[in-house]
Order: sequence, then C-alpha cells, then structure tokens
Amino acid sequence: MQLRDFRLAALVALILGSALLLRAPAPAGAAEPKVRVELLSEVASIAPGETFWVALRQEIAPGWHTYWMNPGDSGEPPRIEWALPSGFTAGDFVWPPPERIAVGPAMTYGYSQSVVLPLAVTAPRDLAPGSRIALRGQASWIVCEKICIPEEAPIALILPVANGTAQPDPRGAPLIAAARRSVPAPSPWPASFTASSDTVTLTVAAPGLAADRVAEVWFYPARWGAIEQAAPQRASIRPDGVTLTVARGPLSEAVAAPIDGVLVMAERLDGGVTRQAFTLRAEPRGPGGGAHALSLLRALALALAGGLVLNLMPCVLPVLSIKAFGLVHHASERPAVLRRHGLAYTVGVLASFAVVAGALIALRAGGEQIGWGFQLQSPVFVTLLAFVLFAVALSLSGVVVIGTRWSGTGQALAGRAGYAGSFFTGALATVAATPCTAPFMGVAIGYAVTQPWLAALLVFEALGLGLALPFLLLTLVPAWRRFLPIPGPWMTRVQQLLAFPLYASVAWLVWVVSQQAGPRGIAAALAGLVLIAFAAWLHGLVRDAPWLRRRVASVLALALVVVAVALGVLAGPGAAARTPASSSAKSEGWEPFSPQRLAELRAAGRPVFVNITAAWCLTCLVNERVALSTPAVEDAFTRKGVVMLKADWTRRDPIITQVLGSFGRNGVPLYLLYPAGGTTREPAVLPQILSERILIDATKEVL
Amino acid sequence: MIERALSRRTFLAGTGLAALGAPHILAAAPAWAATTAKVGTAAPAFTTGATTGKNVSLGDYKGQIVVLEWTNHDCPYVRKHYDTSNMQALQKEATGGGVIWLTLISSSPGTQGYVTPPQADELTATRQASPTAVLLDPTGVVGKMYGATNTPHMYIVDKTGMLVYAGAIDDRPTTRRSDVPGAQNYVREALQSVAAGQPVKTPVTRAYGCTVKYA
Repeated sequence: MQLRDFRLAALVALILGSALLLRAPAPAGAAEPKVRVELLSEVASIAPGETFWVALRQEIAPGWHTYWMNPGDSGEPPRIEWALPSGFTAGDFVWPPPERIAVGPAMTYGYSQSVVLPLAVTAPRDLAPGSRIALRGQASWIVCEKICIPEEAPIALILPVANGTAQPDPRGAPLIAAARRSVPAPSPWPASFTASSDTVTLTVAAPGLAADRVAEVWFYPARWGAIEQAAPQRASIRPDGVTLTVARGPLSEAVAAPIDGVLVMAERLDGGVTRQAFTLRAEPRGPGGGAHALSLLRALALALAGGLVLNLMPCVLPVLSIKAFGLVHHASERPAVLRRHGLAYTVGVLASFAVVAGALIALRAGGEQIGWGFQLQSPVFVTLLAFVLFAVALSLSGVVVIGTRWSGTGQALAGRAGYAGSFFTGALATVAATPCTAPFMGVAIGYAVTQPWLAALLVFEALGLGLALPFLLLTLVPAWRRFLPIPGPWMTRVQQLLAFPLYASVAWLVWVVSQQAGPRGIAAALAGLVLIAFAAWLHGLVRDAPWLRRRVASVLALALVVVAVALGVLAGPGAAARTPASSSAKSEGWEPFSPQRLAELRAAGRPVFVNITAAWCLTCLVNERVALSTPAVEDAFTRKGVVMLKADWTRRDPIITQVLGSFGRNGVPLYLLYPAGGTTREPAVLPQILSERILIDATKEVL
Repeated sequence: MIERALSRRTFLAGTGLAALGAPHILAAAPAWAATTAKVGTAAPAFTTGATTGKNVSLGDYKGQIVVLEWTNHDCPYVRKHYDTSNMQALQKEATGGGVIWLTLISSSPGTQGYVTPPQADELTATRQASPTAVLLDPTGVVGKMYGATNTPHMYIVDKTGMLVYAGAIDDRPTTRRSDVPGAQNYVREALQSVAAGQPVKTPVTRAYGCTVKYA
C-alpha cells in the first residue's frame, strides 16, 4: 500500500517536474517551444536486469512537424543524449510510420500533432530494491512549419527499483504499447528492385492482393539517395504482387546495395481504410543491380561445375555407366567413330537441356512460378520417370538388353543406329538428372530464370555441357582412354551392382507419387512397373527366337508398356487434386512454413530455421536423414530455442517460389538460419549439402 | 491533413488569405518535376539579378570553377555555418584561389530569408562574407532548376561547365555549432580535387538544412 502511494507521489512529482521543465524557455530566443516533450515509461518501477520500454513523447504545435528517422530532403530526426546511471543502456528509437510532408520540390517525412517514439532501456542486475533511479537526458529536435526551429529540453524519469517484478505504469504503458503496435512489422513478402538510368522499380512479392481494395501504396526509404523522395510513385497491383516505379535518386551507389524502407499500404475494408506498414529490404536484381547480382560469366562457370558434379549423382551415374562400359569395350575402335559417338551423346544432352530450358522459359513468360525440377511436381512425369529408370535398371540387371547396338555390350559401336543410340543416351542422362541438384547448380539456375531468354538458355546449356563433358573428353582425347580399365567379366558384375541405385531411385519416385497422388497413384505406378518388368522379360526371352515369334513378343511387350504408361497418365492428375498439400510438412518438430509465421517469430525475437524442401528432392531427403533429424542437431536447436519451419515445395507453390527467388534460388533445397533478436539481421544461407557439423557450427556461429 | 496544407500554403503565400478553399489548395500542391541539374552532366545555364542590379549568368564565368551556395540567413542550419565563420572561411579560401562563389537566395517575398538587394549587401558586410556575387532568385526558377531543396545547399561547377558536386557542406547534419570543428567538409575536399584536376571523391551527398522557401 505504502509503496503504491509512494509511486503515485513520484509520478505526480514527475509530471509536475517535467511540465515545469517544459515551461523553461527554449534557446535561440524562441518565445514558446513548438514541441513539448515528455519521457514516458511503460513501467512504474524497474526490475534489476530487465529491459523495459520508455518513450519520448512529442506534442507538436498545430501546423508544425518533427521528423522521422529519414527526414527526407531536409530536416533532422530527434535525438536524446543520455546521462544514464552506470550499468544502464538505452537503445535506438523505434519509429512509427511517418506522414509525407511535401514542401515545394522537396519531400520530407515526419510527424504532426503528437508522436510517441519508444526505445528500450536495459537495467543492470545489481540494483538495490527500493532505491530510486533517475534516467536523465537531453532531447533535441528540429521542428518545422514554414520555417525550422531547433529545440531542446532536458528529460528525466525517476523510478524506484522493484522488489520483484516491475509494475506497469498506468499512463505510460498504454501509450507506449500503442506506439509499438504502430511500428512497422517486417514485411512477410520478399522484395527486390531493378534500377534503370532514370527509375527504380521496386517489386514486393505480395501475392493475392486485391487491386481494387488497395487505396494507396507508398514506399518510405530508410535512407536518402536511392530514390527521388519527392517524385510520384507509380504503383501497380498484380496477382503476384505490387510494383512501384519511382524516379531514381541522385546517389548512384545507393542502387548497388539493398534498399531498406517502410512500405505503407492502405487497404479498403468494409469499415473504411486501414493502413498497414511493413519494413522491407529490397535486394538489387537484374540490370543496374550491383554487388549481389551474379555475372553471366560466373553463372556459366557455376553451371558447368554443377553439370560435371551431376555425373556422380546416384540417379545419373548408372545411366552413364552404360555408355562408359561401351567405351571400355571399344577403346580400340577407330578414333573417328568414338569421336562421333561422343559428339552425338553431347548433342543429345544439349538438345534435351534446350528442351527443358525452353519449357521453363516459356512457362515463366506465361507468369508461372516454377523452377528446376518443376517437372517433378507433376505425378505423371514422376511415374513415367520411374518407368524409364526401372527399364534401364532391368537392363543393367541383365533381364533385358535394350538396344544392344547403343549400349555397346555386344555389337559394334559403329553404325547409324549407334549414333542415334548415343544421342538418346544423352537425352536419358538428362532425364535421369532432373531429380538431382548438384552443388553450384542452384545458384546458377536461380540466376538463369531471372535473365532474358538467351542468357537463361546459355546457363542451361553450360550445365548440359558439364554433364556431357567427361564422356566427350574420353572420346575426343584418345590418350586419356589409356586410363580406362581393362574389360573383363567384372564389368557385368559392376553393371548389375549399378542397377541397385536405380531401383532405389525408382522406389523413391514411387514414394514421391504417393505424396502427390495418394494410394491410387501408387497402385498405378506399381502396376505399371510390373507390366514393364513383364514386357522386359518377354523381350529378353525371345531374343534368339525366330523372326515371327520375336515380332509377336515385341508387339506384346510394347502393348504392355503402353498400358503401363496409360495407367501412369490416367491415375496421376485426377488423384493429385484431392490429396492434402503436404504430409511431410507436418512431421515431428517441424511447423509448416508461411511468410507470416516467419515474420511473427522473428518479430518475437526467436531464432528460426527454415527448411525449403520437396518430397521429390533427393538431396533434401538425405539432408533430413543424415543431418537435420539427428539427435545432436535437434539438441543444438532445442538449446538455442530455434523454431523449425518446413516449406514443402512438392507441389507448386508461388509463395515458396518467391522466397526461393529472393535468395537468388530457383530450386530446393534451401536452408536458412535466422538469428534471434530482431528482424533486421540477415539469415545465414547454409550449404545445399548438410552435415551435422555444418548445422551445429552454424547454430553456434549465428546464434 | 487539409488543415496543415492550408496553414502552410497561406504562410507560403504570405497573405493570410485563410478563406482559400481546401480543394483549391490541394489542386495547387506543387507537382514534382525532374530537375535538369545532374552531377556528371553540364550545369544548367541561368541568368538572374545580382544585388548590384546587374544580371549575372553562369556563362559569364566560362573556364572558371564556380561554387553555388543556396542560403537563407535566418535558417538555423545556415546560422550554424555563418555564426562560426565556417562559411566565410571557406568563401575566402575559395575566392582567394580564383574560384567564383555565387550565393543564391531563392526565398520568395514574405518568406524567411527573403531580402532586398541592400539588405543582402548589408548581410554580406556584417557577416564579413566574401562571395563573388549574391544573386536573388525570388521566383525560385534557378533553385528549382538545380533541385536545391535546402539551405545551405552547395554545388560546384568545374572549368568545363560540368556539375561536379551537389549536396551538403559537410557530414554533420545538425544545427549544433560544436559540430563544425572536426566535420568532414565535402565542399573543401571537392574544390581541392577539382583544382588538382582529379575526380571528386564524394560527388553527391544528402544536403541538410531548412527547406528552401519557394513561392
């Protein structure tokens, strides 16, 4: 009781005191200050070691205004010079969204009438309960109407140290809470910009905004220089987001770095217009974009390296082994013939990559949000891919010998059909490569899809060239063939062994189908596999039979394959629409990702790990098994309070595609570790191939 | 919003015609127009009256380095630099080295900083300033051509007539006189570079100060 009375008395004294201070004449001869200030506190007492909010409240004379953190083309933000007791620390202001105040050719950003500017103060641990603490400082600001006046005033707050938890201040707490609620929240949408010589175009990937409901959009830059602050901002609201075009600012280097600022959007609701303010960071992209943008040359180099590594991926290696063994067998063949095979294979790879690139470019031009491996979002494609890989696996197992001529197990590598065979091996290698993402590839393709079609095509072709290169070089440079092993019975065994990664790939693809198309999809895929196995057996059975029997068996086998394909095509899409979006997103410990949830958690100061994955992404699944779900990593995450969000890209999802895009990526996996404590800190982008060590080190480093 | 616009507008007009209708005020709000002055391109030509009564053109100083200083003697940011003699010292240094220094006043009649030619000359004398000439731009034509938004707002034109600097006088955007010593003076640095025939290291900065009191 007594304490409460004392507090009340302190408060009254404080209010009277600060009122008296405010009555003191401002310097520079001004008769009456244009702004009255007061230091508010959300607490009526201080708990040792706690952080609490105080605020500078400005009551501004009618017609006058003070300034935002970026005052615009003139003016100056208010500041406080603190004289705090030892051990106390004060943070920076957090800024409610400003108003626009146009003055002739200049634009300024500021506040009129009244504003509460909160800031956090942290008390030291060693405070004696019951003692009184004086938080003092000198506030200074510039206030303008037609003319500008610099003003300053001492501010002070005297608070007792609480015995237990701090009590809220009945006057300050609601004012500060209201001000903090109005402070812009981090944008839930990724943003980027392009700059031409005259304009800056800001793109905020806010899908699904209704154009007729948006009353106003304005971007307030956090710093001067990147955009012309007084220039009109031309907004267009499209289904995939908002673009703002504005005259470029005078500071040329400002568009080489990300542009920070506050986006204010006014939305017409049933009851009137509501204003929403978001902080956002727009990353430079495309022409005029600076340091962050990848050069074409670098993208090509990365693509080439990625293509080379693709050769070693479990989905590609067995397919290539067919070709490689042919080469071992025929190392003594005429160099010209081998060379032609190498070239035919390369052309096959490049042509297939051109088809993939063409499809990707065409679909993107049509406004689709897709990326590498987009084909795998279709259960039909996944089923058919499983059939193809299964057939190749059966061939390696020796159940059937498909196209003896091109696989090169028996007859000559030479011959017209042989070159066609090499061409189609190239195509097959490309098809087999689609589920795999090699290191370096993600960055290169992420770059490619944001580029004009020619650059995009070049990047894809560089990737293809990388894939084709090892085999091509072996055929082009006879000397290197000396390193090839001596042919022998061991080759059959290795081929049979290499069938198993393919069977594993098939099993995995069927599992992907189960995610996409449910039980019906699996049934169709499995039935198709049985039919293909039967067709293969039939084909092999009659290999040495007379012509007619061979012909009948071939027709029958072909019919079986057609039935299998038909099953895959018919069962896939119908079922796809009905199954729930993502079952894998609900797995243990993971929350489903949404930009809103991420923004919420970051605003709450939580560290967040974002795992952008897809059921059809092998690398993703491996990472989850060997790294993400291990006890050591789970333990590290738990200890740091990391919230784990999983974004499932198994099916096409424009929001996730945009998140990927904002990191210059166009495919999964993408792993982001957002540090705790604030929304301004950048996330760490982890490697595409994870290990326990990488995750634990990153957790230690970042958090 | 309308109230504020109204009060500013009436002050700007300096007439006190409070009866002006709000819709009219909004329609009269200044439209943004791209300025023609851009660092790295030719400084736009202008002609305006000096306090001497003669007309002065930028073209009169072809082949010479020219500093343009927008000012408003009552602006606290301008006073920071004149009360500390910072601006005068820079003027003396520049003109002593053969640089042309033109002080421009774009305040419209009835607004802060507007002066008649004799008042302007008196200010020059009492403040012991040493510009080559003080130019009066009460219509704001020259100021808007250069995109001058602040007082002080500084520009440098090199001997070839190219605009090589636009922005603040220094890196301390405050009204505190104690910030003058120790500040990085962008204009002095730029003048040294131009005199040495070198490119200006910081050619564009954010000008700080009071808004120019255009009509």
